[in-house]
Amino acid sequence: MDSKTLQELEAKAKKLMGFETDKKITWCGNCGNYAIHNALARALVLENFERKDFVMCFDVGCSGNGSDKFEAFTIHGLHGRVLSLAAGAALANSKVKVIAEAGDGATFSEGVSHLVHAVRNNYPVMFIHHNNENYGLTTGQASALTRCGVKMLGTPEGVMVEPINSLDFVLGLKPSFVARGFSGDVDHMTELFRAGLKHKGFAFIEVLQACPTYNRLTPDAWYAERVRNVEDLKSYDRTDLWAARKIVQDVDKEIYIGLLYENPEKKDFVSLLKSREGAVTTPVEEVKHYDVRGLI
Amino acid sequence: MNRLCIKITGESGSGLLSTGEILMKAMKSMGFYVVADREYPSLIKGGTACFILNASLKPIRSLAKRVDVMMAIDKQSLVVYFDDLKRGGLLIHGYERPLGVKDIHALAAERGVKILHRMAREIAEENGGNVLMVNVVLAGMFWKALGLDYCFIEAEVTEQFKDKPKLLAIDLKCLKAGYEKADVQMKVEVPKMAAGGVAGAKKTILIDGNHSITLGAIHAGCRVYFAYPMSPSSSILTHFSEYAVKTGALVKQVEDEISVVNMTLGAMYMGTRALCATSGGGFDLMTETVSLAGMIETPLVVVVAQRPGPATGLPTWTAQGDLDLAVHAGHGEFPRVVIAVSDPSDCFELIQHAFNIAEKYQAVVILLTEKVVAETNMNVPEFEMGKIKIERGLVGQAEMKNLENSDRYKVTANGLSKRWLPGTDGAYYFANGDEHWEDGSLLEDSPRTAVMYEKRMKKGELIEKNLPEPVVYGVKKNADISFVGWGSSKNVMMDVIASCAERGHAGRQAGVKVNYLHYSYVFPLKTKVAEKFFAENKNVHLIEGNYNGQLGNMLEAKLGRKMRSRMLKYDGRPFFMEEVEAFVKKNLRK
Repeated sequence: MDSKTLQELEAKAKKLMGFETDKKITWCGNCGNYAIHNALARALVLENFERKDFVMCFDVGCSGNGSDKFEAFTIHGLHGRVLSLAAGAALANSKVKVIAEAGDGATFSEGVSHLVHAVRNNYPVMFIHHNNENYGLTTGQASALTRCGVKMLGTPEGVMVEPINSLDFVLGLKPSFVARGFSGDVDHMTELFRAGLKHKGFAFIEVLQACPTYNRLTPDAWYAERVRNVEDLKSYDRTDLWAARKIVQDVDKEIYIGLLYENPEKKDFVSLLKSREGAVTTPVEEVKHYDVRGLI
Repeated sequence: MNRLCIKITGESGSGLLSTGEILMKAMKSMGFYVVADREYPSLIKGGTACFILNASLKPIRSLAKRVDVMMAIDKQSLVVYFDDLKRGGLLIHGYERPLGVKDIHALAAERGVKILHRMAREIAEENGGNVLMVNVVLAGMFWKALGLDYCFIEAEVTEQFKDKPKLLAIDLKCLKAGYEKADVQMKVEVPKMAAGGVAGAKKTILIDGNHSITLGAIHAGCRVYFAYPMSPSSSILTHFSEYAVKTGALVKQVEDEISVVNMTLGAMYMGTRALCATSGGGFDLMTETVSLAGMIETPLVVVVAQRPGPATGLPTWTAQGDLDLAVHAGHGEFPRVVIAVSDPSDCFELIQHAFNIAEKYQAVVILLTEKVVAETNMNVPEFEMGKIKIERGLVGQAEMKNLENSDRYKVTANGLSKRWLPGTDGAYYFANGDEHWEDGSLLEDSPRTAVMYEKRMKKGELIEKNLPEPVVYGVKKNADISFVGWGSSKNVMMDVIASCAERGHAGRQAGVKVNYLHYSYVFPLKTKVAEKFFAENKNVHLIEGNYNGQLGNMLEAKLGRKMRSRMLKYDGRPFFMEEVEAFVKKNLRK
């Protein structure tokens, strides 16, 4: 974090502390969730978000257990369904930024259809994909993103089928915003979240997340050795979908992080709606009697 | 003739629906009260289908199975439905090969059925049309056969095709030719028209249930509609989307019912009024979210348009089979309200109450409709604007700054806590699907778990106390026969109450006294009026469109009383007039 940002954060320390909980945190020591929440709180403060300006939507799992550990308006929904819940919230009140969080189990198994359509519709939601490559809260089963050969609860012989490449999958859906960070770098995540908060459509931000209890294979240190910042690639054009798809193929040796793809041309869902053209209020502000006699 | 019963039969996709609608609207504009529904298979083209139209000088609400007039667009449907034509009735058709209808004509002669037969396709072609205009020729024949004033049907055909002037000219020629080639067969008494062309009866609108639910929801300030298509709920999506540009509502068809209900809940949580509708199978997928709404005490309104199950069942037919599903949907225990509609007026009003109840009690409301309600058109009084106040149960602006986080799920005597919206200056809270304490913080300890559980359940008692009781139709007490039911049963019961009251019915000089206890608010089940109803009427029967008698079972268990018998139907068809009249005759108190 540069000194200017650090100074800004220091000046807003009280606000930052306002999001802190005094409740006992139930994540394991060294869990990536600490860093993710920390980075998100910083991003919100740096972007001058007040509590009334955002709502956080949580899925079920270890990330979901953070739903009451962030002192703000939060909603904790069902497993796999957070993107739908968040999309509904965002469409109802586009003056409030809706942030959704879910793990890799929810996102790429239970609710993968909602991911597909959230990307396709470009709902105005910032989504943090907590990718720790396993089901942590249910004590370590394989997810669709667990690497081949890894022995997990329920797959004692090791996972036999190839994992889904999460970002390649999302890029295949022609998204408007795809970024990736890792839980070992709070400063970098903070910058990604700041960009995500400013994005109008669906921002897919993956965090490669340490799970010290059930994912021994890829702790923060493992990622730290392998991550490469896309900004260091001189000729990289982040509006080039094929360049992005190419760069995300490697998840073993050189793993690129940063804002990997952006399509500023793709309109968010609300902007496409003829019925909402020119609306200055949101559906939340419009609940009143409407005379329907003229419609019949 | 109290009721003129008409059936138009044909292949699905043969112009059956548009012909039926033209006749229905033309008769309505003459001042008839009409009820019209259609029967059709779950396919796009082919298969037999029919449009049933009943018309009367007096208000009617249900349909008879047997008809006075049958108009057949093709031979196959004529054969399938011919037995529904009464003895001495009138058959109108245009089938070309005499050999093909020899048997039907013989049967018709045996039953004293009059036949009006003209070469409809030839007539259409002579007038510049083709086989697709056969239905218009037949409509002209029909109109003349009943001795009705030509100007009404001409106006309706003109209205129907006004956007296609070329087609309209041909259709009008075909209509006229059909009319001229026919002769009067059955003199029908027509409504006396008051000055200005409006029937002497109260001014009414002709509308179906799904259209009325849409209008009621829009009127109540529902600004967001999410859906996944499923018969017989789909036309709500059609109406909502077609009105969207005018109303400014946000309408979206999404990927599946699970997403539909989660998006609806998310929108309600933010504080707008959002709605979704589905049928039983789609609602099965929604039930986990129904449970979530119960847990986070966020209002949710879901319309369930019933069709026969299990599984895909009969997608385009009717049933009352999902009451148990609505009452028990979702894991765990939490209060909910189940409301059932019976007719377009109900649809327009009860959807408004559904929103009010859901918001006032921060609860799930399931609005049950049925295929026969969803798609049946009938005359109802014009919808009244602003009659049902919008009640949101939200904290007022003045109170917002004094709110504590823990007010949101505060344990109160009646279980109801304050609700305010996220994205406001009010205290923040956690809407937590995990068990939680007053500010929504997760908890797992024993004493507080039980206290919070009780707080939610107590709300159920509060709701039950404040819901309206069922309503008695017909004589208040000492009926010769009584019925208890819900949903569309009300329509047939109202008509049966009226027909049985006529002198001489079932051989009784003074007619038969029938009454009916109708539940609009089906769950939680109210019993005070029912208790009195059972005490004052000794011959009480159940009328219900399912196998188990789902309402009957609930009511008997709660009242500790038994009904004399149960009239149950589960063949995909609604209760027809004749069936209930026959049941009355058979079960009259001796």
